[in-house]
Amino acid sequence: MPDARVQSAIAHWAPRFVSNGVPLTDFEEVTAGVERWEDWCRAWCARAAVHEELGRRSLADGYRLSAGEHLTRAAVCYHFSKFVFVIDYEQMKAAHRKAVECRNLALPLLDPPGERVAIPYEGKQLYGNLRKPRGVAKPPVLVMCMGLDSTKEEMDVNEGVFLARGIATLTFDGPGQGEGEYDFAIRGDYEVAINAVLDYVGSRGDLDATRTGLWGVSLGGYYAPRAAAFEKRVKACIVLSGPFEWVEYFDKLPELTRNTFQVRSRSRTPGEARSRAATLTLKSVAKNITCPLFIVAGKQDGIVPWEEGERLAAAASGPVVRCFLEDGNHVANNRVYRYRSQSADWMARQLSVTPV
Amino acid sequence: MDTTAGKSKDKRVEAAISHWAPRFVANGVPLTDFQEVTAGCDRWEDWCAAWSARAAIHEALGEQALKDGFKLSAGEHYTRAALCYHFGKFLFVNDLEQMKQAHRKAVECRNKALPLLDPPGERVAIPYEGKHLYGILRKPRGAAKPPVVVMCMGLDSTKEEMDDYEKRFLKRGLATLAFDGPGQGEAEYDFAICPEYEKPAKAVIDFVETRTDLDSGRVGIWGVSFGGYYAPRAAAFDKRIKACVALSGPYQRSASFEGRPVMNVEAFRVRSKSANLEEAGKVALRVSLKGIAKNITCPIYIVAGTKDRLTPADAAKELAAEVSGPCVLSIVEGGNHVVNNLWYCYRDQTADWMAAQLGAPKR
Repeated sequence: MPDARVQSAIAHWAPRFVSNGVPLTDFEEVTAGVERWEDWCRAWCARAAVHEELGRRSLADGYRLSAGEHLTRAAVCYHFSKFVFVIDYEQMKAAHRKAVECRNLALPLLDPPGERVAIPYEGKQLYGNLRKPRGVAKPPVLVMCMGLDSTKEEMDVNEGVFLARGIATLTFDGPGQGEGEYDFAIRGDYEVAINAVLDYVGSRGDLDATRTGLWGVSLGGYYAPRAAAFEKRVKACIVLSGPFEWVEYFDKLPELTRNTFQVRSRSRTPGEARSRAATLTLKSVAKNITCPLFIVAGKQDGIVPWEEGERLAAAASGPVVRCFLEDGNHVANNRVYRYRSQSADWMARQLSVTPV
Repeated sequence: MDTTAGKSKDKRVEAAISHWAPRFVANGVPLTDFQEVTAGCDRWEDWCAAWSARAAIHEALGEQALKDGFKLSAGEHYTRAALCYHFGKFLFVNDLEQMKQAHRKAVECRNKALPLLDPPGERVAIPYEGKHLYGILRKPRGAAKPPVVVMCMGLDSTKEEMDDYEKRFLKRGLATLAFDGPGQGEAEYDFAICPEYEKPAKAVIDFVETRTDLDSGRVGIWGVSFGGYYAPRAAAFDKRIKACVALSGPYQRSASFEGRPVMNVEAFRVRSKSANLEEAGKVALRVSLKGIAKNITCPIYIVAGTKDRLTPADAAKELAAEVSGPCVLSIVEGGNHVVNNLWYCYRDQTADWMAAQLGAPKR
């Protein structure tokens, strides 16, 4: 019988893993072979290495398209090995390095290709992946905000949905996220990070900075509207299962999620983590959101209550699309066909892209 | 007390779940759909209705997207709808009226999707024995006269299931022509299973030659499951075929159906238009590459899984041993039927290989 943390990971995350690119059999076999949480990272890394090897072989044979897909799958498997694996920081870091390395190898091979970018931030840098749709001179751009345990390496499928509709994507690791977690702690005032990213977008001659959208998943579904409340350069915002007042149900979160928040917010104790969680709030600022919002929430969400989406919808000052799904789980990963293409079509319209 | 708790599922439902989960998902059924629909289906008799109900959800999403002017989204929803209708009926020969109705919906939804896809598809009618076979032709963007891969279905697959496979060829600069041959999909009503598949394949390649927008000098053939027999069978007779991919096909069938899942046996009996298993066994005996495969001179890429419970990997070895041309034999350790559980071990690889055989630039 697997330990409770393994069971929790399996119960919460199967639809997310698969809808973000993990082959179903990989998910079944790897999780079936893990009894103790301590073995999770190693087991996923071993599976990731299979994909990495396939990718490197395709590359050696000159099959770039295949190589890009294999290496992206490798990156996703390495990523999920470490996503909430904060119990062993050295193992987590090693797996993380592999995830970044594989996705970086994949970037130039993708269709459309991606470019690794460095965004100046507080004397150091945040890292992002920028991809532009083919055949568009100066496309609008979607800035994509990660959550507590997602990183830019998990975003291939989500990027593809927007790219297919003529929108560039800039997925980045912010403070407390992915490559940004070593130098920077989680911060509630995420508008500071977004300010840096939008400055960066404005510095690029190949993007239309006047048509910038924002997107955020899970905890990123808090970060994105939080930034939109402060940053008027944001023209539209998609919110996926984000909190409104994180601290209110912080104590009820799954243990793995709470531990991960404690580590990535650089809190020494659960009490300190709780205090830090209280800084993640939209209560006093949501009224300043004037751009259009597309809010997705699953009524079966066992992590962030769906009512958080309604609180945001009620508090915001601009137009709101409520996409509240009766049978959706966290991020409605079990019902992606009810919001992924719909929110992307909506965003394209907000950013004045001709419908495809 | 919940009286349904602990009630076991009927064996045919269990067999369908255990054999087909990786296939459904790898070919585009959302995982949660598979889990929920099969969990809600205790009797095989309810299978087709349960999947059709789920398909109708995707169909409605497609209609909504189309109404809103979002063609790309509509094409994807309709394709998922077609797939769910298809899997509703794929082996449902126990109730032909229900099967036909779900089949009509599958074809209707995929037809609606075709012009909305990227790249779009075109429904084509291929003259065959005084009637027609129907196919879906898709051409890669930006290629003037592309090479083409003729795609052969199996016992229960049809052209409506092929979106994922088509895309892998299309991305690599190859056109695809997936078609329903005798005993398959739209053709199963007019034509019985035809082990001498070189006949319909000839009609398809004749059709390709009439198309000025395809390079009929560069035709490949591909087949899945039972189609993994049809494709090499055709390649043995038709020298216009320049390369062949065979996925988990038989080499020589026996007259016996022992040990095979009952639904597959029934599908074979019904689709071969046999009155009983004895008659069906006679058709099965004609399924043979023995002494024929030696005439395959074009390059062939053969895929099999060591854990295939329908077609043992030995069939692949026998085929590989007999062909006369260059051969890649990929026996995937742990692979199930058609290696759908480890699809990343062959789907891109065979597409890259086919592109190379047909002279498409490496991508």
